[in-house]
Amino acid sequence: MGFFKKKTNTKEQSTPPSQTNENSSPNDLKTSLQDNIQFVKNSLGESSDIVIREIRIGQDGSVKAGIFYTDGLTDTPSLQNFIMESLMLDIKGTGLEKKLTPGHNLLTALKDFAMTVGEIKDLTNFDDLFTSLLSGDTILLIDGYSEGLVMGNKHWVERGITEPASQTVVRGPREGFSENLRVNTALIRRKIKDPNLWMESKVIGTRTKTNVSLMYIHGVANDKIVNEVRLRLDRIDIDGILESGNIEGFIEDSTYSPFPTVFNTERPDIVAAALLEGRIAILVDGTPFVLIVPALFVQFFQSPEDYYVHTGIGSLIRLLRFFAFMIALLAPALFVAITTFHQVMLPPALLISLTAQREGVPFPAFVEAIIMEVTFEILREAGIRMPRSIGSAMSIVGAFVIGTAAVEAGIISAAMVIVVSITAISSFVSPTYNMAISVRILRFGFMGLAASFGLYGLAIGLVALILHLCSLRSFGVPYMAPFAPFNVSDQKDTLIVVPIWKMFTRPRLINQTNVVRQQDPASAKPQPPKNEESGE
Amino acid sequence: MKKSLLVLLILTLFLSGCWDRRELNELGITMAMGIDKSENQYVISAQVVVPSEVSMKTNSQGRSAVTLFQASGESVYEALRKMTKNSPRKIYPGHLLILVISEDLAKEGIAESLDLLSRDWELRPDFYVVVAKNTTASEVLNVNTPIESIPATKMYKSLKVSERNWAGTKGIILDELIKDLLTDGKEAVLTGIEIIGDKEIGSSKQNVETITSSTEIKYDHLAVFKGDRLVGWLNEEESRGYAEITNSVKSTVTAIPCPKKGKISVNILHYNAKVTGAINKGTPEVNIKIQAEGDLGEVQCPIDLTKPKTIDELEKIYEKEVEEVIHRTIDTVRSQYASDIFGFGEAISRSNPKEWDKMKEHWDEEFPEVTVNTQIDMKIRRIGTVNNSFLEKIKD
Repeated sequence: MGFFKKKTNTKEQSTPPSQTNENSSPNDLKTSLQDNIQFVKNSLGESSDIVIREIRIGQDGSVKAGIFYTDGLTDTPSLQNFIMESLMLDIKGTGLEKKLTPGHNLLTALKDFAMTVGEIKDLTNFDDLFTSLLSGDTILLIDGYSEGLVMGNKHWVERGITEPASQTVVRGPREGFSENLRVNTALIRRKIKDPNLWMESKVIGTRTKTNVSLMYIHGVANDKIVNEVRLRLDRIDIDGILESGNIEGFIEDSTYSPFPTVFNTERPDIVAAALLEGRIAILVDGTPFVLIVPALFVQFFQSPEDYYVHTGIGSLIRLLRFFAFMIALLAPALFVAITTFHQVMLPPALLISLTAQREGVPFPAFVEAIIMEVTFEILREAGIRMPRSIGSAMSIVGAFVIGTAAVEAGIISAAMVIVVSITAISSFVSPTYNMAISVRILRFGFMGLAASFGLYGLAIGLVALILHLCSLRSFGVPYMAPFAPFNVSDQKDTLIVVPIWKMFTRPRLINQTNVVRQQDPASAKPQPPKNEESGE
Repeated sequence: MKKSLLVLLILTLFLSGCWDRRELNELGITMAMGIDKSENQYVISAQVVVPSEVSMKTNSQGRSAVTLFQASGESVYEALRKMTKNSPRKIYPGHLLILVISEDLAKEGIAESLDLLSRDWELRPDFYVVVAKNTTASEVLNVNTPIESIPATKMYKSLKVSERNWAGTKGIILDELIKDLLTDGKEAVLTGIEIIGDKEIGSSKQNVETITSSTEIKYDHLAVFKGDRLVGWLNEEESRGYAEITNSVKSTVTAIPCPKKGKISVNILHYNAKVTGAINKGTPEVNIKIQAEGDLGEVQCPIDLTKPKTIDELEKIYEKEVEEVIHRTIDTVRSQYASDIFGFGEAISRSNPKEWDKMKEHWDEEFPEVTVNTQIDMKIRRIGTVNNSFLEKIKD
């Protein structure tokens, strides 16, 4: 659906400033080194972390040169050893020094013979200069040239690769993404050494100039979807991207739907698995959260561990997650509906027990449920935001509020405490935080429906919810696939998880062209070697 | 399209019927109800549960677990609503377990009083209906019971358990009762409930504080109806005979005489009775075919159980005993009440609807004359954990 109508936008994509080839625009580098230095200083407001070092190189120091770098973002030892030393000292031992007279091929000569740095680029204008300088590269300008060199030696202090805080597993790799885009792409490359693993880089954010990489396996990922992602990324025009959540907000299909249509993860193994299925990963510099599209409903119930453990327990846990999802969504609503409208549904003993608990409780069941749910949400939010050191105090207070104290005070009935607690615990079963959030939002709506219309309202609400879910698309793929549209072979990884040797194909709707994962299904099943001699 | 669908969904929310929102503590949970009649007025008694006294929570204050509200009115419904005059909570009959009808009302006819109970949406028509024998319904509901603190639960469970394990009682739910009242060629029966002991003490807590309750409520006898009027009672043996004919035995223990002297108890585990009707040369005929299987439960006479012949002999005795009970029951019912509670007419209508159509107008005259053939086949499967009784070895 979304593939075609957005094509008109391609021509509007903002061309990078460096492409403007007008003669001697104010953006172009000037010939005079002094002018350039002055311009840089003025433009950056003489910021103190910008270091500009003027040196003299070549025969008798006849060539004036300037080295620009940002303190803290540049690897100072490598700057000194491989740039300054090369230019000022090492060069003297070679015959090259004599060539370094003001002449036409000076920069090329330096680039080709002198600079012992891996990544090196030409530079012609100030926009590129500022981008490189502020990204941590070192800039070399030489007096008399309206060109310069960019040496890549970025280096700054960063967090190492640690175990991800979300989506933890018992069995599985412990490494998680970090804030550095390069490290993150390397983590994925280490898992998939396929030449077809392609990466496209984009710079998004007119001021932050955040690096964004698009990764997919060429030939496995559906080209239409790759194009669509590319288009949506190119459409983004904002001053800053600080987290992949910002990107998600721009590219997701339905902003107001409570359900996430973009998956995010901190785990390289999830990204690798998604790439192998034909999905597309979007990595954003500065955050460990990598986006995966298209994201379907079932994906939010799949934990990487499901594929690492025995298929039986994997399937049971998968079913348990769907069950917990229903509890988290409906338990308080069902409780309110049944106890205020459909008491006939309760077994007599339970009815009497519940009634006895409600004796003396001043609020209607719905108000009671809302009080408890809101209290729990407050506790949860406080638990996340507050300083770590007050954690234990928090949990003690929390246990009092949602617990026997509330019951003994006669404000809340004990059954309601149980219902709210089981709901809260169930919402944490979801392996992804996103789906838990959508459940949190919807739960209150269902409680309202249940309190006003009983089970009938709940049924109507569920019908509306299912209609909504079936109408959602993630990058052109129906959100409820493979349930609706139904696909038999894709059921292998939905409610249950079949053994890995039975997963012959990739999900069909994501990947219509190249679906085969295992070429020879017959030999896939583990079995003892056939003894050909005995001829049994 | 999408919008109109949404509007439709929202509209349907407001179009639902039976819509009533009540908090749990606004319900007067009624588990047993009684209907009496005095001076053309219905007197309704509702046994309402006091939840805080029943619940496991410790704040019980030693008050009675149930309380009885009474109201009278021209109709059952009116009386039920009038009850709010003395009850703080509206009567909620959704969990009704048992309905007691007084003998007096039953003699006058029960049909009118049952309409509300089958019509009202709040009621599930799966509660037992019983008849208070020699007493009023309100007095039956006024007795404290041990073990089950809610008398309604006691009445419900006793009936269920005894029906299943003894077969002298029959749990009839409202739906079945109405079906029996409507079916041609089958009359209704209901189990009787009676009070044994002092009715005054029965309603006090004192009744359950002693080991032996001075007042008890107990099921006994089957009430025989003709149409919707009670016409008489079957005694215990006849009640069991009724159960044996109508295939309502699930499990029971029957004592049969030994070949010489003493008694042997047979524990019946599988029981199947089939009543088929036939028209034989213009006269109706009923065949009762019974297949029973059981174990020997108790042997009070010295016989050699290791011999297959003895077992065969015992099976014969059982068959004869049951046959006699069945015939005695049928004779009593025919001679005293002339009410076809066994459903013989129904059996005949099933086998020969055309003849039945001619016959049903004067079935009451035909019923006492119907030939009843019985064919009983009993198998003893096991004799318990010992072979011959040790009685044999006791020397005088």
